[in-house]
Amino acid sequence: MLVEHARNLMGIENAVHAEYGLEGTAIVDALACSLVETEITVDLAPGSRLAGIHGEASVVERTNCNYGLNPEFAHIADAKGLRVSARDDTGEVRAIERTDHPFFVGTLYQPQRTTSTRAPHPLLVAFVRAAIA
Amino acid sequence: MPGVPVISLVMDLPDEAPAAAATFEAMDHAIGAVGAGELRLVRTTEIDAELVANPGAGVFIGPGSPYEFPDRADDVITSARTRGIPLVGT
Repeated sequence: MLVEHARNLMGIENAVHAEYGLEGTAIVDALACSLVETEITVDLAPGSRLAGIHGEASVVERTNCNYGLNPEFAHIADAKGLRVSARDDTGEVRAIERTDHPFFVGTLYQPQRTTSTRAPHPLLVAFVRAAIA
Repeated sequence: MPGVPVISLVMDLPDEAPAAAATFEAMDHAIGAVGAGELRLVRTTEIDAELVANPGAGVFIGPGSPYEFPDRADDVITSARTRGIPLVGT
């Protein structure tokens, strides 16, 4: 999602995800600290769609990734219709959403790892509701 | 009678991978809670112009990159973004 945004809306035509080993501008790069099999607390941006979905200021989520938004390009997450909707306790971007779209949310954590039949993840429920509307 | 809204899950992980299994299960929970919707798994090898033009009622960009054809996944993201189709990526 970040690479698509960088290429098509930010004018960074050679934007790449570092995991692919391609030449270009690594918008998504290896994290300084791995987030494999980790639990993190994310602060939700007031007024964001994500905060509205959860109805809370912060939530605990599980992660399993080694890549994230390259801090050198942090500015692209708050431009051209995109906004930061969650950060972790280090200040790193952990979720983004579009303000010019009915429902467009990306997370650098995995909500599907904190869900159950009795407590389906609020983000995924909101997504399904938006899809069937 | 209108058909069941189909949500495309773009993911290349094998079904038995823990992240894939968690994704299927989580979407079962969410669809069950809402009471409507159907999940359709789409491998990036299967993405063609028709799928890009009509990715369904919603798009879930699943975990487990690198994808086999990342540019095709990006094409689906562009389609959802420009057509106002709900999208979530994890």
